[in-house]
Amino acid sequence: MKVLSRKSVTPYVLLVPLLVALGTLMVYPLYKVVENSFYEASFLAPFQREYVGLDNFRWLFSFKLFDPRWSYFVSALGRTLLWVTGSVAIKVIIGLLGALLLNNRLLAGKKFYRTLVIIPWAIPWAVGAMMWAWTFNSQFGIINSVLLRLHLVREPVPFLSQPTSAFLATMVVDVWAGLPFMFIMLLSGLQTIPETLYEAASIDGAGVGTRLFKITLPLLRPILLTVSLLSLIWTFNSFDIIWILTGGGPLRATETLPLAIYKTSFLYLRFGGIGKASAMTIAQVTLVTLLAVSYIRLLKRGSEQSWG
Amino acid sequence: MLRRTEMLALVVLLMAWAIATFGAEQVLRVLMPIGGGYTIEDQEALAKEFEQVYPGVKVEMEFVGWAELWNKIITSIGAGAAPDVMYIGSRWVPALADMGAIVPLDEYITEEKRAMYPQTIWDTVTYQGKTWGVVRAMSTKVFIYNKDLFAKHGLSVPTSWDELLQAAKTIHDPGSGVYGIAMCGKRFVSTVTQFQQYLYANGGRIVDEKGNVVINDAKAVRALEFYKELSKYAQPGITEWVREDLIKLFETGRVGMYIDHVHNAKRAMEKGVNVGFFLIPGGPDSDKPYGTCMVTDCVSITAQSKNRELAWKFVEYMTSFEKQAEWDLRMGFVPPMLKERDLPEFQTWYWKPYIEAIDYGYPEAVGIKDWEGTQDAILDAIQAVLLDQADAKTALDQAARIIAILQKK
Repeated sequence: MKVLSRKSVTPYVLLVPLLVALGTLMVYPLYKVVENSFYEASFLAPFQREYVGLDNFRWLFSFKLFDPRWSYFVSALGRTLLWVTGSVAIKVIIGLLGALLLNNRLLAGKKFYRTLVIIPWAIPWAVGAMMWAWTFNSQFGIINSVLLRLHLVREPVPFLSQPTSAFLATMVVDVWAGLPFMFIMLLSGLQTIPETLYEAASIDGAGVGTRLFKITLPLLRPILLTVSLLSLIWTFNSFDIIWILTGGGPLRATETLPLAIYKTSFLYLRFGGIGKASAMTIAQVTLVTLLAVSYIRLLKRGSEQSWG
Repeated sequence: MLRRTEMLALVVLLMAWAIATFGAEQVLRVLMPIGGGYTIEDQEALAKEFEQVYPGVKVEMEFVGWAELWNKIITSIGAGAAPDVMYIGSRWVPALADMGAIVPLDEYITEEKRAMYPQTIWDTVTYQGKTWGVVRAMSTKVFIYNKDLFAKHGLSVPTSWDELLQAAKTIHDPGSGVYGIAMCGKRFVSTVTQFQQYLYANGGRIVDEKGNVVINDAKAVRALEFYKELSKYAQPGITEWVREDLIKLFETGRVGMYIDHVHNAKRAMEKGVNVGFFLIPGGPDSDKPYGTCMVTDCVSITAQSKNRELAWKFVEYMTSFEKQAEWDLRMGFVPPMLKERDLPEFQTWYWKPYIEAIDYGYPEAVGIKDWEGTQDAILDAIQAVLLDQADAKTALDQAARIIAILQKK
C-alpha cells in the first residue's frame, strides 16, 4: 500500500482554507442565485417557495407595469449598457491620455501628480459619492459656485435633478472613482515599453502620432484589454455611487440593473422577490460574460491582424 | 513547559467562554436605527439602564442606518436570525404582520397602557384589528417660516392654499438667491411624506377606510397640482433635495418657509433665523382648517423571539412615561402620550403648534399593505409631475394602478 507522504499531502492541505473560502463566498452564493431563479421566493414568505421553472425568466420580458413599451428588466438593461459604455470609454480614453502625460519625460513634478491621481482610490466610494452629491448641489456645490462667479451661468445648475444631467453626473462620478486604477495600470504598462524602440523610430523619422499608433498602442494592447475588461465588469456592477447620488432617479433615469435587482429583491416584495431578482442576476452575469468573451476575441483578432 | 502554558491558556479560554455564555442569565437582542438624530450613545445608555433594572439580563443592541433598516429587517427575518425587539417605521407594520415577522401585542398591553395614548396613535400600529407595536416616536409637521422675510414683504401667516402660494410668490427672488419655499423631490421616503402633508391637508388619502385606492381622486390630484405650483417658487432642482437637507437652506435665511420638525426649527433659531410657525392650511377640498401627516415609529416583538416576556419588559421600559418624555425632549419629537403634553417643557411656544397639529393629523400609512412599493409608485408620480413628464391626473392614475395591485395580493 502506498503511504501518502507528508510532502505529497501538504500542498492540498494548504489549499483547503482557500477552497473553503471560495466555496463559501463564491460558489455557494452563486449556486443559490441560480437555484432561486427557478423559484417564486419573496421575503414576504421567507420560508416558503414554489418551483416555477422558467417563469422568472419570462417575467424579465413581460413585466411592463412601469412602462408599457419596455419591460422593467429591458429598461434597466438599456440604461445600464448606455451608462457602462459611456463610463468605460471615458475612463479608458482619459486614463490613457493621463498615463501618457505622466510618462512624459518633459513633465515636471511627476511624483506629485502620481500621488494626486490615487486620491479617489483612497476615498471609500460611498463617501466619495456623498462628497460629489454636495459638489453638484445647486445651492452649496462648488461647481455652481465657480460657474456663477465666472458668470458662465445666470442661475445654479441642478445637475442631479434632471434625468439627462443626473445620468451624466453619475457617470462623471463613476469615472472619477475608476480613473486611478486606469492611470496606474496603463502607466505601468507604458513603463515596460523599451525606450530603444522610440529612439529607433525617431531616428527613422517617425513623428509623435506614428510612435503612438505603431509602437505604444500595439504594445499596450494586452494591458488595455485587461483594464478595460475589468472596468467593464466593475462598472456593470456599480451600485453605491448611483444609489447615494440619486437613488435611481429622477424618474428612474439612473436606475441601472444593479439598482433594479436590489429593488426587485427588497422593495417590490409583492410583484418582485428574490426569485425574479435572481433571474435578473443570472441574465446580467450571462450578458457580462458574453460581452467579455466577445471583447477579448475582437481585440485578439485585431492584435493578430496588426502583427500579421 | 510549552505544553503546560498551552493547557493553561486553553483552560482560561474555556472559563471565559463559560462565563460569557452562562454567566448572563438572558440575552435580549434589539435592532435600532441610527442617523437622523438617533445616536448609538443614546440607545446604548438605554440598554445599560435596562440592565440595571433587570440584573442578569444582557441587552445586545444592533445598529443600522435608517436608509438600510428595512433591508436589515427582512434579511434578518429571512435568515431566521431576527432580533427579539425591533424598532420599525409603523408604515411597515402591515407588511411585517403579513410576513408573520412580528407578533400582536394585545395580550401584553394593559388598559392603563392603552389610555396613555390617544386612539389615533394606536391606529398607526393597528392592522386587521390587532396591535403590532407600541409607538416610540411620533411627528407632526407644521410650516416653519422666516419672520423677517415675511415682515419685509408685509405678509401675514397664510391660512389657505391661495395665501400660501401668494406668500411664496411674493418672497421668491431667485436672482438674489431668495426662495419663497424650500421643497424636496428626491427619490426618498421623506419626499412622499412631504407630499402627504398637502394630500392629507386637502382631505385626500392613499386608500380609503374600505381599502379602495383613492390616490388618484380629485382631492389627491389637486394636492399634487398644488405641490407642482408651489415648486415654481422653491429652490431650483428640487428633485435633488431630501427634506432632511432643507434645513441647511433654511438656516441661511434665504428661504421664506418650509415644512419640518421642531428640532430643525430650533437649529435655525440657533443660527439666528427669526423663526415662526403656522399649521399647514387645509386645502380647498378639506372640511378642516388645517392638516398634517402623522408619522410614527414603534417598537415591536418578532415572531422569532424566544423570550417574548423579556422582550415585552424592554418595550414597556422603553415606552414608560419617564423614558418616553426624556426621549421626546432630547430628540425634538412630538409627545405621543397624553400626559406628556402637560409637561412644562412642551408648553413652550415652539412646541405648541406641533402638539396642536395632532388634532388635525392623519396617520401616514393606515391601510397600506406594502409601504415600500406604494412609496415607490407615489415617488414616480411626484417626480413625473415635477419634471413636467406627466400631468398630475395621469401620474396618479399610474400610481393608483400599481398600488391597487399591491393592495390585492
